[in-house]
Amino acid sequence: MSGYGLRQVTRMERIKLRSVRSTWWLAIAAVVLMGAVGTGVGLGYRSHSPVATAAQILNNSLGGAIGAQLLLGALGVLVVSGEYGTGMIRSTLAAVPRRRTVLAAKVAVCGAAALLVGLVASFAGYLGGQLAIRGTAIPAASLGDADILRPVVLTGVYLGVTALIGVGAGTILRHSGAAIGTLFALLFVPMIVAGLFGEDGVAVGRFIPLLMLLNSIAVTSPVPGLFSGWVSALLMCAYAAVAILIGGVLLRRRDA
Amino acid sequence: MIELRELTKRYGKRVAVDGLSLRVQPGVVTGFLGPNGSGKSTTMRMILGLDAPDHGAALIDGVRYAKLGWPLRAVGALLDAGAFHPGRSARAHLSALAASNDIPGSRVEQVLRVVGLSDVAARRAGTYSLGMRQRLGVAVALLGDPGVLLLDEPVNGLDPEGIRWIRDLLRGLAAEGRTVFVSSHLIAEMALTADRLVVIGRGRLLAETTVAELESGGDSLEDAFFRLTSQDTDYRGVGAS
Repeated sequence: MSGYGLRQVTRMERIKLRSVRSTWWLAIAAVVLMGAVGTGVGLGYRSHSPVATAAQILNNSLGGAIGAQLLLGALGVLVVSGEYGTGMIRSTLAAVPRRRTVLAAKVAVCGAAALLVGLVASFAGYLGGQLAIRGTAIPAASLGDADILRPVVLTGVYLGVTALIGVGAGTILRHSGAAIGTLFALLFVPMIVAGLFGEDGVAVGRFIPLLMLLNSIAVTSPVPGLFSGWVSALLMCAYAAVAILIGGVLLRRRDA
Repeated sequence: MIELRELTKRYGKRVAVDGLSLRVQPGVVTGFLGPNGSGKSTTMRMILGLDAPDHGAALIDGVRYAKLGWPLRAVGALLDAGAFHPGRSARAHLSALAASNDIPGSRVEQVLRVVGLSDVAARRAGTYSLGMRQRLGVAVALLGDPGVLLLDEPVNGLDPEGIRWIRDLLRGLAAEGRTVFVSSHLIAEMALTADRLVVIGRGRLLAETTVAELESGGDSLEDAFFRLTSQDTDYRGVGAS
């Protein structure tokens, strides 16, 4: 049958994402934030004694991801809930009545954009840290080293996937404030709860996004008890898939 | 042609559209009249597949809206004047929708000229006046050069010149053989624009008639409309004393 498909709808979503200012503000803010935190960390360690290790600098200079995940998560939420808040969703669904195609296109376009921004932001954090320690006794960390490259890349992946969890949350809740609030709560509250378990917290904590980020994904070697960086990143992808699948079911069933 | 078959929609216990069956023919402007809350907008949303009917079906040239290969090229719709993102320019809004149905960019510029928004197309649509928003909505409806047009209260917020412009536009589109279905709660405006009239109240079909037939009854069009809908008006005020 001749008719629209994912190719056309993806083009629509690309134009939509590019043509609102919030996309650019959130993306720029994520990169600037990570670059600034990385630089700040590096400057802070310059006169630190004993001399910091390369791993210490790297782990800490990616710390801006804690804030960047919120910015990119909000970006993902707005891709869907922004349409409900404004009435745009009715124009979209009238143009493309096959709703799962709309969601798939949003996932593809927002996911690709957020992954790109996430990687750039993560690299900015790394670079900021490295530039700030130049000329000191602190050893430089080379991206040629797999244990350095991996956390930088996986932090970018983590940020991109957070945007996709946002797309899922936005599709499920449809209201920007509610969806962004829920997303923030999902990212922070479980970590606080895991802290209450004390010693046993690690058994639960290795499944919690923010703990995975800080102790497994964005570090040169994961904290004992946690999954490896790649497994943690895959686990994040699984969370995003669940959120998007639930959103897809609801999107088909509900009136627009 | 638009065909409704026993179209029914309930919201909880309230029946918004109640077994509505009718055919909207091409070549004429068909007015869709009814008091506030009579189910006009719900009917239009069901035709577009935005709301799912509890019973019955709405068909465009014999198929459900969701089955259309290129929806915007078959049906153009103006649902409300706010179905856009206020931060996006009119040009970007139209370009995005055009891309989804493989409509060329030249057509975007063409419809912008038709509705008179070319000079302000780069401005964010949120800065538009109500009349300009309506024009943007009309541009979206015309985008795919569709054979069927569906407009919900298109004259809302338009100035007298804009109202005449819409009227001439719709009559012109119908004269080209298109199906034009326009809802309104203003009988006087419909009398000038529409040839055929479909009147509903409380979601039920009250009359399928023509403007000429309604006028031949002896009383004014307005009185004829009130006579038709008097049993089916939900909200009514009383004279101030």
